[in-house]
Amino acid sequence: MTALRARAPHAGLALLIAVFAVFFLLPFAGLLERGLGDSGAWDAVTSSTAADALALSLWTSAVALVIAVVAGTPVAYWLSHARFPGKGAVEALIDLPIVLPPTIAGVALLTAFGRKGLLGAPLDEWFGLTLGFSTVAVIMAQLFVGAPFYVRAARAGFASVDDQYERVAHTLGASKLRTFVRIVLPLSWPSLAAGAALCWARALGELGATLIFAGNLQGETQTMPLAILSAFESADGLTTAVALAILLLAVALVALAAFWLLSTRRQGIA
Amino acid sequence: MTLDFAARTQLGDFSYDARFEAGNEIVVLFGHSGAGKSLTLQLIAGLLRPDGGRIAIGGEPVFDSGSGLDLPPQQRPIGYVVQDLALFPHMTVAENVAFGMTSEGRDDRLGELLDLMHLTEFRSRKPRSLSGGQQQRVALARALARDARLLLLDEPFSALDESLRVELRRELIRLRSELDLSVIFVTHDLREAHLVADRLAVFDAGRLLQFDGRERVFRAPANRRVAQLTGVANILRGRVVEERNGELAVEAGGTRLLAPLPNGWRPREGEEVDLAIRAERVNLRRLDADDPGHPNLVRGTIREELAYGATHTLRFESPLGPSIEVEIAARPYEVLGVAGQRSWTVELPPEDLHVMPVDSESTEGSRASATTA
Repeated sequence: MTALRARAPHAGLALLIAVFAVFFLLPFAGLLERGLGDSGAWDAVTSSTAADALALSLWTSAVALVIAVVAGTPVAYWLSHARFPGKGAVEALIDLPIVLPPTIAGVALLTAFGRKGLLGAPLDEWFGLTLGFSTVAVIMAQLFVGAPFYVRAARAGFASVDDQYERVAHTLGASKLRTFVRIVLPLSWPSLAAGAALCWARALGELGATLIFAGNLQGETQTMPLAILSAFESADGLTTAVALAILLLAVALVALAAFWLLSTRRQGIA
Repeated sequence: MTLDFAARTQLGDFSYDARFEAGNEIVVLFGHSGAGKSLTLQLIAGLLRPDGGRIAIGGEPVFDSGSGLDLPPQQRPIGYVVQDLALFPHMTVAENVAFGMTSEGRDDRLGELLDLMHLTEFRSRKPRSLSGGQQQRVALARALARDARLLLLDEPFSALDESLRVELRRELIRLRSELDLSVIFVTHDLREAHLVADRLAVFDAGRLLQFDGRERVFRAPANRRVAQLTGVANILRGRVVEERNGELAVEAGGTRLLAPLPNGWRPREGEEVDLAIRAERVNLRRLDADDPGHPNLVRGTIREELAYGATHTLRFESPLGPSIEVEIAARPYEVLGVAGQRSWTVELPPEDLHVMPVDSESTEGSRASATTA
């Protein structure tokens, strides 16, 4: 047997890799070049529009994530263990928002929870409660498109934990809750963390559903992606849009890096 | 500690029904895979609920279909070591062992238990960094940590080599006496069953065929199926001719064979019976040797021969059938000169010949095994 050695890629493949890399890296370079070279960028980043949008984006996406985790974890655990007819259909339904174009999600949300929607109409009529075009609607849109990523990952994570561990824990006197906290959670942690990160990233970047279901109102429903869109459509368009984009990109990168560090450290300890 | 076990249940096509009890001893549940051994442990542990029956541990019922009692696993005083051990991979040895302990005096008791199982030096290690034998001891320690006096072990030595098995068996016997344990031990390995058991429960297809002291099961199997499962090579069908002086005369293959009266039942004259004799109990004599006046001699010719190093297995064609199996140690094999001589007098010593009833169930069992073999 010959020893394995690191092989240089075939020339054709090398070219393909290079083109692919350029395709993905060049846009970031363009963004940075435009943003750093433009004196107006700093003004855009420090404007009240940017501050409002960033604050709104951060806290709404955080709330959406918390709801997804709190409600999605039990659902995912149940789905990973339950056996019932039509389970595949239920799982497909939960995954549906992942493949659904966000604009469709927005329209769908509107027809359900909007002022004239299925549930929205009675809510409005009986309680004077309007969900559409409010900050609540922003969170609902983010939850709708983000939560399936978490549930999907958590479900796979829970399913990957051998049932035998749980049975043994039960015979050692551990309650179902204690078994879940001490055994199942630590063993499925990487999946949960990855799912949460995806869910949050999707919520942070949500545009189409928010625009249709929540609108584009500064300080109330204008998240960063919407602010970028608005800036792009305005007079001095690109400068502000680029500046905001860099800001959002930086925040997202920092958050994901921190999250990744936390979750790998947690894994190391556990 | 005692266990009183009686349960029946139906799982799809598989029907299970067994009843036995255990005291301060090692009871081995023996049988092929799928016979119902591991199922028995799960029923005792409360991981499966039987359709009916009663299970009591130390006199306290944990399951009783009559009164509807069914304690969850958490409330049953057992220690359960599953076949693949299922050590919690994200916890250290100490955390694994302490998992089932209550908080009071935990540190002291953890220290004692780690000492007892020779695990103190590994306490901060993760299970996957330990050898198979060490992991086995961690699993045992974890199961003992609840102060359970009934230990359920599912194929606990299956992943270990021979020397470790012997060592862990010694460990197990020490623990049993030091901690006043009852041990229910599952294995499909006949040698292991013999090595470990005080009493032996032979399972087949969801039925408990025989529950007895180890020697009794091996020397006096209850029926043809138990004899097959416990490795009796020679099982002959015969008919009772007469009973005289506490002995039975049985006609098999045109030969009159003497055998002791069986315990617990008395075959009638003319009744069909099965005769069992282990291969290592059969003797060989030279054809030209003086007639010793022994009963149960037949003439046989070696048709097949297998050498295992320490022993040889010979298959004889004789009036008793096409294949009487004889196991002979290497030394007598050489002294007798078996290699150069094909025809022998085969002796089935009466005291080693065991008479079993022919019952429909065991006949079916043997037919089934004959077709699958």
